[in-house]
Amino acid sequence: MKNMTTFITATGVIGLILTASLVMGDDDKYERNERDEGFLSQLFSKKTDVAPVKNAVYKEECGSCHFAYQPGLLPARSWKKMMGDLENHFDENAELDKDTQIALTKYLVENAADDANYKRSRRIMNSLSKNDTPLRITETPYFIRKHDEIPKRMVQDNPKLGSFSKCAACHVNAEKGSYEEDDVRIPGIGKWDD
Amino acid sequence: MKKKIVVPLILLLSSHTIMADAINDMFTQYQQQGVSNASEQTGKTLWNKKFTDKKTGKDRSCTSCHGVDLTKVGKHVRTGKKINPMAPSVNKKSLTDVKNIKKWFKRNCKWTLGRECSAQEQADILTYLKNQ
Amino acid sequence: MDTKQTKIWDIFIRVFHWSLLATFSITYLTEDDFPTLHVYAGYTMMALIALRLVWGFVGSRHARFSNFVVKPSAVIEYMKEVVQFRAKRYLGHNPAGGAMVIALLISLSMTLLFGLLTFGASEFSGPLAGLVGGINGSLANIFEELHEFFANATVLLVALHVFGVLVASFQHGENLIKSMFTGFKQINQDDQH
Repeated sequence: MKNMTTFITATGVIGLILTASLVMGDDDKYERNERDEGFLSQLFSKKTDVAPVKNAVYKEECGSCHFAYQPGLLPARSWKKMMGDLENHFDENAELDKDTQIALTKYLVENAADDANYKRSRRIMNSLSKNDTPLRITETPYFIRKHDEIPKRMVQDNPKLGSFSKCAACHVNAEKGSYEEDDVRIPGIGKWDD
Repeated sequence: MKKKIVVPLILLLSSHTIMADAINDMFTQYQQQGVSNASEQTGKTLWNKKFTDKKTGKDRSCTSCHGVDLTKVGKHVRTGKKINPMAPSVNKKSLTDVKNIKKWFKRNCKWTLGRECSAQEQADILTYLKNQ
Repeated sequence: MDTKQTKIWDIFIRVFHWSLLATFSITYLTEDDFPTLHVYAGYTMMALIALRLVWGFVGSRHARFSNFVVKPSAVIEYMKEVVQFRAKRYLGHNPAGGAMVIALLISLSMTLLFGLLTFGASEFSGPLAGLVGGINGSLANIFEELHEFFANATVLLVALHVFGVLVASFQHGENLIKSMFTGFKQINQDDQH
């Protein structure tokens, strides 16, 4: 049947074009970052939003004063910069002995957002330009966009909170690597309803 | 190992061998740096003393994070993170690791006093903390 | 009475029709709650619509746009006849049905387009992320609002479509829903194309 032939040909052509563009688009052509994975690879990834912290030394050393931010929330270049200036860690001294400093830098760089196949890692990386080296997760465009509808009274001016840096204060499953909106409980306020 | 007056006194007072070991080690090192006496009262005074931060002009002291009552949970003055009680009578892990003692003395004296604590100051503070 | 049956809707049209309904339902139901599934279903709809557009030019007789796309005046004329219970029976899409096909294709395409824009602007993801990632928050919100608007408009169109199908079935004594499964319709003497 002439119709069938045409249909099969048309489907084949469209299929080929779609597949080709998806595969080529997998190169992340718009070059916002140095990663190799494009949106096709994004369709197949793990369950939690970001890889949870499994390194006990990191938890101990970097989680004793603040939330142990997952390495997958910043690019490797940011971690390198931070670990190279621990004496000046956000106006505090966070010095480590040489061995620990080297070991933790390695852990952070290896698990950074650049190559992580996790939703938040990918999207944070996508939101940064090639040369952006944020030291604060809260300064990444992705973070800002995800939190730009929260009124000041709930965070900055909330006496029970005060800052966006305390992830686990609102994101009850932050330590597991999960930042789902449904799990948010803002201190003194409750669930986030948008 | 030769010890002077201070260490045997501490040995008598302490019942926690591990902690005593770490503290012993520290005191041995202080001795080697010339410390002969350590006073709990001096340590307590130092612990509660207020220092001014050069950058902000604000007051800070050990109690800013650890509190005055060391059997209670402390709170990081900036991040709000809970800090386990310093008092060994309540927190079995407190003062049991030499590496940790050194690390925190270095960082936190720098933060509080603006400089590292001398061996004498550390010995005094350690004597105070040990008995809480 | 002569109850001769003839094949009207080819297999592609039928599979497409029900697949579209299934995937649209999935997107509508998953929206905020299961974002990954929502996005997969959306991409599937894009593929389905792309195929339908091709088929509309090379497909079977009643699948082709040329068979049923008519002037707006003809659609209105037909609607008047329906209201007066004197509409003629069509084997393929009647003028109103034809208009509904176009309306749905447009509404769905707009929903999908603004979906891609929202995904890029707010989630820095998808094929349009490079284009709109990081744009002003208010603009990103507008994309999201338009995405929701067209999704809801589609639901309204679907409701109207179902209503129209029921009216036509009733007026002409046939089961149009069954026909969309089997592909067959009864032939009567005074049928239109």
